[in-house]
Amino acid sequence: MINRASDRRNCICRVAVALVLLLGVASIPATIHAASPGRSLDTSGAAPRAVEDTTATSVERDYAHAWKSLVSALEANHAELLNENFTGSARQHWQQAIEVQKQSGLSRRIIDHGHSLHVTFYSLDGSALQAEDVADLEIEYRDGSKVLSSEHVKLRYLVLLTPAENSWKIRILEELPSI
Amino acid sequence: MNLFQRGIVVALLAVTPIVCSAQLSVVGSVQAGAGATLQASGSGSATLYLFGPSGASKREVQRGSIAIPGDELQIAGRYTAILDGSTASFFVTAAPLAKMSFIARPSRVPAAASGGVLGSAYLFDRYQNLVLAPMPVGFRLGTDGAAGEERYVNSRNGVAWMKLDAGRRSGPAQFVASSGGVSVLRVVQQVAADPCAIRMKASAASDGNILVETAPIQDCSGNAVPDGTIVTFTSVDKAGRSTVDARIKRGFARAELPTASSATLSVAAGVVMGNEIHWGGGQ
Repeated sequence: MINRASDRRNCICRVAVALVLLLGVASIPATIHAASPGRSLDTSGAAPRAVEDTTATSVERDYAHAWKSLVSALEANHAELLNENFTGSARQHWQQAIEVQKQSGLSRRIIDHGHSLHVTFYSLDGSALQAEDVADLEIEYRDGSKVLSSEHVKLRYLVLLTPAENSWKIRILEELPSI
Repeated sequence: MNLFQRGIVVALLAVTPIVCSAQLSVVGSVQAGAGATLQASGSGSATLYLFGPSGASKREVQRGSIAIPGDELQIAGRYTAILDGSTASFFVTAAPLAKMSFIARPSRVPAAASGGVLGSAYLFDRYQNLVLAPMPVGFRLGTDGAAGEERYVNSRNGVAWMKLDAGRRSGPAQFVASSGGVSVLRVVQQVAADPCAIRMKASAASDGNILVETAPIQDCSGNAVPDGTIVTFTSVDKAGRSTVDARIKRGFARAELPTASSATLSVAAGVVMGNEIHWGGGQ
């Protein structure tokens, strides 16, 4: 009797622990999604002009905003979300991509874990800044609400940013072959 | 190992064969706009999903050899194909160079300015993808009838840039960037630089004032400094300082300074000083 009662208590304890762990695991994606992605900007390789501190701060801030809008646009299939942070061919390409994706009833959910940005070119007149970005992303490919596949990848992007009235906008966002 | 850990291990073991099963593969490398062929093992129909930078699509296909048309693969980047839960990723690279975006700065530059002209060239294929493979890009800056300066540099990540010295002659200069049969022309206006030396002479005007007049004002390359440039004449005598600003007209600047029995006259344009004349002191 004593052993049976002890076994029952052990079993209840294990189930409780498992439930707590399961709840903990289940809450992880929500925590990651809510946290702002880490990011770093390295301007030491910039040429022919050095990047000023204030410019670096603006670029870092505006690039983060741009990715936020791209992630939202790809998930919700709202191409107009790119208007604020994208321009030129990058805006045209990605808006077109979102329209095509929307017509097929598909979407992509991206959990952005952060970016490591290395500036490689900053024009003397300050009209263009090019950088390579290593993005740490979790991507879910969806058909309606059904998840078709998901992956956690580190992707390399080539970015060309140009200054607008009061912010930097992405003019080119082109993926590079993987690391 | 507790129940929960065992559960995770069992779940991972159950999922592993699905993840590792290579049902989809891509034949060869893919160039933008050229199309691709996927190989799917098995037989019968299935739904193929394709996600990439140019959009996302789904279609019913027959397993085996599946052709993806080029118009779905115009944008360079990574594409992911999904069929029956199996995925394959492939990379689309830019097509050959077709366009160049060339930015020349500044639009007006002083003649003979060292490293005064900057050109940045961005290399694109016909679908507006940056051509990432290194390509030699030539930059040439010359005025009519003169070969000018020409230099080559390899592009990096689709961008090439070069600083060139401005020519010695004022006038419109052709700034050309070229690569792989594509060339773009920009015109940079070379203007006279600061005056090199200003010489003036003084004489008595009919009304008793001092008439000062410069020799033709040129920069150090012999280009006439443009009409309208301000030249400042100054007279310092015991009564104080008098200053007159005059504009260059037809290459010369002239002005009248107040009469004085003895004065020191000087001339300047911008930061360049000319000669001094001691009026009434025998010069």
